[in-house]
Amino acid sequence: MVKLVVASPIAVATRGEREIDVDFEGTLGGLFERIAERYGKEFRQRILENDGGLKRFVNVYVNGEDARYLNGLDTRIARDATIDLLPAIAGG
Amino acid sequence: MGYVRSLRCRECGAEYPPTRITVCEACFGPLEVAYELDAVREVFTRDALARRAPNLWRYRELLPVYEDASRVDLQPGYTPLRRADNLARALDLRDVWVKDDTVNPTYSFKDRPVAVAIAKAREWGLEAVGCASTGNLAAATAAAAAKARLPCYVFAPASLEATKLLLPRLYGATLVPVDGTYDDANRVALLTADKRGWGFVNINLRSYYAEGSKTLLFETWEQLGFALPDVIVTPLGSGLLLTAVEKGIRELIGLGELTGSTTRLVGTQAAGCAPIVRGFESPDGRPKPVRRPDTIAESLAIGDPASGTEAIQIMRRSRGFADAPTDSEILDAQELLAKTEGVFAEPAGGTTVATLRRARDDGRIDRDERVVLLVTGNGLKAPHVLDGRFPPIVPVAADPAAVDAFLGGLAHG
Repeated sequence: MVKLVVASPIAVATRGEREIDVDFEGTLGGLFERIAERYGKEFRQRILENDGGLKRFVNVYVNGEDARYLNGLDTRIARDATIDLLPAIAGG
Repeated sequence: MGYVRSLRCRECGAEYPPTRITVCEACFGPLEVAYELDAVREVFTRDALARRAPNLWRYRELLPVYEDASRVDLQPGYTPLRRADNLARALDLRDVWVKDDTVNPTYSFKDRPVAVAIAKAREWGLEAVGCASTGNLAAATAAAAAKARLPCYVFAPASLEATKLLLPRLYGATLVPVDGTYDDANRVALLTADKRGWGFVNINLRSYYAEGSKTLLFETWEQLGFALPDVIVTPLGSGLLLTAVEKGIRELIGLGELTGSTTRLVGTQAAGCAPIVRGFESPDGRPKPVRRPDTIAESLAIGDPASGTEAIQIMRRSRGFADAPTDSEILDAQELLAKTEGVFAEPAGGTTVATLRRARDDGRIDRDERVVLLVTGNGLKAPHVLDGRFPPIVPVAADPAAVDAFLGGLAHG
């Protein structure tokens, strides 16, 4: 199962759920489409831009690696991957 | 509530009660503390300031701490603003000042934001505190937590300078030495704080923490006789310090203490980790993240700067600029500052001097401008960067003839 970990400030997009298991394999963008099916427009509007890209204030990590350093929404997600959705405003 | 009105999103303007929220609930953007400036104006007067103790709490109406008893009394702030005539002469400038935050309780400006964040943690009765750090914040958080008798957890790259890893442990904190970059440490610190409900000063207390940093600006204004300089040079890690400096200026204008500001805000990073500078130079004005920072200026080695976009917007709006000297230029600048002004800065401080030199050379800073450099950390925390810059020590025999022989070939001075 892919494990999605959602930091509490972001969990408003997932009805307060902070750990979500999804049976999925594919791209990061595809995973978000699958999540959006479950949580509806609340997830889509808060996490994704209208053009499908990621919102500026949400950082996504795939197995601990920032998705921007991988292939963004085209990054391949293995069946046992861990995905973190964290607020970008942190640190410094 | 003191004089605090709300937490306001810097991005979308949404306002919230000043509680324990971390980012804007609508857009996840950064929050800043807003004050009732009309009420502050009645008590935040120059006469009142003159009678207050020389530490950052002299600006208490513009700090979001309500209970005096929640303050930790390490008394950071009100550091010297040193007139740097020797440095100015060396660089063919007329009016240069060094805001010397190397002399704070744990030897960096981080004691300022930590003072506010730890006070909030105490007001809210949090059971533990911590931070993600490039070094200076680790010591500041650990020292304040020690005084507050709070457990403290510090996340930092395991590869940091030895002194920066020693200090938090000396102050009694638990160090989590992360095998990775600062951004890796920040990510796992965020997840840990979120899971355990701890107060991490620069993560879930960040909006309050930022307020402490703006006291650098208030002090500069006060120490220059209630005036701002033409240029302020600020080191950039996450960019938060520069945004705090700008917020301080906005608040002084809001209070009527200034009619406006023409101060140019300049940001500087090391060339080996310059995501904000490269963003400043790019048409889109967005930071260019750096996956593997490579610089001696460890305290600025943040590859993914959270306040980078805001810092770029502020530098552009104030007609300032962003600059990234090389490590070699930074080391030369550290030595120049020490030899001209007797101030030993860590590389982040050298970065401001290096940028001043580069900007004077190419005309970005004019000879007649009054410049303040924010020198934010002490060189004794990172001495090894200077290894190899001086000849090896060869002992001299303890007799006058040997001393004469040793000095004989050297010019005076």
